[in-house]
Amino acid sequence: MVPDDICELNLTDLSWLIAAREVSSVEAVSATLTRLEQLEGKLNAFITVLSEQALAQAKKADEEIARGNNRGPLHGIPVTIKDMFETAGVLTTGASKILKDWVPETDSALVERLRAAGAIIIGKTNLDEFGHGGTSTLSHFGPVHNPWDIERIAGGSSGGSAAAVAARIGTLSYGTETGSSVRRPASYCGVTGFKPTFGVISRHGSFRGAWSQDHVGLFARSVKDIALGLDPVAGFDARDPASVPQKTPAYASRLNANVKGRRVGVLRKFFEGVNGAVGQAFDAALEVFAGAGCEIIDLDVPELSYAAMTSMMTSSAESAGINRRWFRERHQDFVPHVARGIAVGMTITASEYLTVQRARHRIREALRGVYEKIDVIASPTTARVAPLLSEGLKGSGDDTRHASYNQSNLLRFPSMLGLPGCSVPIGISPEGMPMGMQLIGNWFADQAVLDAALAYQNATDWHTRRPAL
Amino acid sequence: MKDTDKIAHRLALLEGVSFSPEDLESIVKEIEDNERIVAELEEFSHGTPWISLQAQPQDEKV
Repeated sequence: MVPDDICELNLTDLSWLIAAREVSSVEAVSATLTRLEQLEGKLNAFITVLSEQALAQAKKADEEIARGNNRGPLHGIPVTIKDMFETAGVLTTGASKILKDWVPETDSALVERLRAAGAIIIGKTNLDEFGHGGTSTLSHFGPVHNPWDIERIAGGSSGGSAAAVAARIGTLSYGTETGSSVRRPASYCGVTGFKPTFGVISRHGSFRGAWSQDHVGLFARSVKDIALGLDPVAGFDARDPASVPQKTPAYASRLNANVKGRRVGVLRKFFEGVNGAVGQAFDAALEVFAGAGCEIIDLDVPELSYAAMTSMMTSSAESAGINRRWFRERHQDFVPHVARGIAVGMTITASEYLTVQRARHRIREALRGVYEKIDVIASPTTARVAPLLSEGLKGSGDDTRHASYNQSNLLRFPSMLGLPGCSVPIGISPEGMPMGMQLIGNWFADQAVLDAALAYQNATDWHTRRPAL
Repeated sequence: MKDTDKIAHRLALLEGVSFSPEDLESIVKEIEDNERIVAELEEFSHGTPWISLQAQPQDEKV
């Protein structure tokens, strides 16, 4: 198989071929590294590339598999991770100047689990500094470009991860989400992005954005691939205070596309401002669910009108607490927009933060009631396609506090409340950019979200579309 | 308290870190936005129980 064909394989197929020894891990890693090298000048999706280390690990993986010691679906698979995860002996920057030369001695929980599963980490992806942003332009290492149109943003903060998967640089990438940092770039880059219920994947050894909202999530080309990538990294870890006890995860083997009778909730009140093409694509997606036997239920949850502001205030205050020392000692080394954001957070008082948490509690209770009537909430992931880089931060969603809260409320409530969410591609806009739909489930109903996404992807082919790079 | 005093109190929380006049203007604008937001959220959350999270390890619970 020629290298370009290997890069076109999705995780499900590549995993099978490596296990059957029809493609070697060395071939897969070499092909992926070559593609990365060809495209990185256009995308700027990576901060660190681990060519030699990855090839050595791939050789070892091939030897193990040849001996009959296959560790599972990720064994020998080239993957990428956001540069938020500590990686022993490897530069770990958080896209910051402050840590531009930092090499940790230990692995984050995610890296430990990926290594145990035999995955080959080929590079660490670019992002907004320490995850503070929604564009992936706020990086000490320069902006990430969208593979569908390099004049546009990839979205953030996990933009490098989404861009890599969209550009066929690896089948799988791991990122983090505090506000919408997995779902938004997934939508902008036309890939499938999933973040599980708060506490399902350990955050030990990753940089904190806002501790009560931070999640680890992942990007792939389909929900089947997401489930394969989720199983090895989910599960309890006592080192993360938010980690939840869970039996051996088996999301992939339990995937079930039969969603007949499932109830899909729609919050149209919050769609004001959604672009026409995005709205049409979403309505078409709802028809797919209706065709699969789902009941579509219009909902009104007025409490969600306060979700964006509550989420933003929470992250702002928590981020200030996390970065306080660096802010005091090295504020000039932060990306200026990030430094200003931390400064604003520093001025939020304890009593104000607690008032915000009280509001968050009220929104959570409202959602608890909603999930007694429905199984998933569906909405456009973002109100429009990826903005042009020349627009700066405007319209990217970062202006949540100043702009219309409508769509931002839908984008932000899942991470604020810790609900599982998946963004899937649902169409291509007239300007040739991908559009996305998010499916948000009840707490710990991760499987229901994945099943709904699978049902959609089994009936459509938008997730197979690729940018013409 | 005058509005300018209120903002000065807020800026004192920056622990001596100084910004350019342009940056300061943008920070002050956001502080004013936050004050409006907190007032809105205070009204919205009125009557909602305060969250009380205990810190003991889960395995200590009976």
